[in-house]
Amino acid sequence: MNLRSSATARSESSTQPVPLAKDKKGAKKKRKRTRKNRFWSLVTNVPELSILIMLIVGAYILMGVFSKVESTEVLSASSVWLIIVGSFLISTAIATLAVIGGIGGGVIFTPIMLGFTSLDSLVIRATGLVVAMFSGLVSTGPFMKTKLADIKLVFYCGVPITVGALAGSVSAIYFHEGLGEFGDGLVRLSLGILMLVVAWFLFTGGGKTEYPEPKNIDKLSVMLGLNGSYWEESLGKVVHYQLTRALIGGIVFIALGFIGGFFGLGGGAFLTATLNLIMMAPVKIAAACSGVLLAISNATAIWTYITYGAMIAIFAAPWMLGQVVGGILGAHLLIRIRAGFVRKVLIVILVVSSIKLIIRGVEEAFGINIPII
Amino acid sequence: MIENKPKPPIAGIIYGEIVYWGVLAGSLIVIVGSVLAFLGDNYVPVSYWISSIWKGETVLQTWSGATGALPNGHWYLSQLTTGDGLSAFGISLGVFSVAPALFLSSVALFREKEWLYGSLAMVGCIVVMIGVLGLAPMPK
Repeated sequence: MNLRSSATARSESSTQPVPLAKDKKGAKKKRKRTRKNRFWSLVTNVPELSILIMLIVGAYILMGVFSKVESTEVLSASSVWLIIVGSFLISTAIATLAVIGGIGGGVIFTPIMLGFTSLDSLVIRATGLVVAMFSGLVSTGPFMKTKLADIKLVFYCGVPITVGALAGSVSAIYFHEGLGEFGDGLVRLSLGILMLVVAWFLFTGGGKTEYPEPKNIDKLSVMLGLNGSYWEESLGKVVHYQLTRALIGGIVFIALGFIGGFFGLGGGAFLTATLNLIMMAPVKIAAACSGVLLAISNATAIWTYITYGAMIAIFAAPWMLGQVVGGILGAHLLIRIRAGFVRKVLIVILVVSSIKLIIRGVEEAFGINIPII
Repeated sequence: MIENKPKPPIAGIIYGEIVYWGVLAGSLIVIVGSVLAFLGDNYVPVSYWISSIWKGETVLQTWSGATGALPNGHWYLSQLTTGDGLSAFGISLGVFSVAPALFLSSVALFREKEWLYGSLAMVGCIVVMIGVLGLAPMPK
């Protein structure tokens, strides 16, 4: 259940030489057998996932057949059911894509919903936090067991990111109440620009280095004992690492927490980049820790939205279930999909939603009509 | 010399397991809540919630039309027999699992005499609890 690291492993495996034509049949059979084995190992190793999926499918059938929901002037009863089931399926797909692409689901959900729907921005941001958080939460256990999530790093960065997230979510409510539609316009505009930066990160790979070696180690990092080791499967040996720039990293995490809490997204790509490029954590450690930190920060920020009433449970529930199922499924069943392809899809999604967000942001904030899309 | 695989710290395992099972428990409650919402009683009718969101009404408009005012708190705790109340509780339980996970992980770190990281985990837990209890100043 090593979600993010499996994405890295997949991208590495995609560079392996292609088998010759005469071996193709054998390779196909082998792949089929591996897929079957993988499916059964998923069923036997993670029985709770199978039970959960069966329960969800059963629940949605029950809800469809015996529904007592009444139609309104806006939606028919069957449309309400379709929205719930559709949300679950889309959420599962988003979680799977996000896991393979190595980013948080909120980065896909929030920009699309803010850009292309007329739903209230606070409802979207609250649901966005649910989307951003739950695939990270379910992957926390496996990350901790495999020691890919460094507990010292997580708890050191956990404090500034939770403080930033809480401040961000409270600011979002003040912003919404104080500035109304103008504020929503500014949120869309700034989120659009932010998503272009995320797309750029995905495009360039963020300049990440697999095993960075810090030249200078600051006193604070030494004092905090920010070092560790983990088993690197691809090398078949233990990798030791030393982190640095603890103070700068801590300050950046306050800002990242604020952004996540304010916009209702995770920004896993930024977290991974900070851990890898600033604090010099190996990519796998950075990716695993960013998933865990994402979950902690969003789990802090969302309470502001819950107590305010912005998280509408009936609407958020299928998104949560989709994230739990998709988060686990993505890591186990979709090994064959190449991370590179998924990244390209994500970049297109992010660029298109960024353009739409910027256009809507300018329209709402400044009252300028831009007749595009 | 070949090194053995490093063992994960007990505090990490405690944290990970509590969050994992907390999320799964929350998911089960959400499933039951969703079924109840479609087949049984609700605090506010499901069709109203979805229609209101679909129309693009603000949070204030949605709650004003439903109960007259914003909830400003954990409204679902007094509505656990309703479908929407139980669904909200399930999501909240999954999110809340982070708080006891941080607390017990902190206790495990203290027992291992890791005072600094035990304290950091405890501070993280306190910040999460400030969010849970709604102690951050909100607009009136």
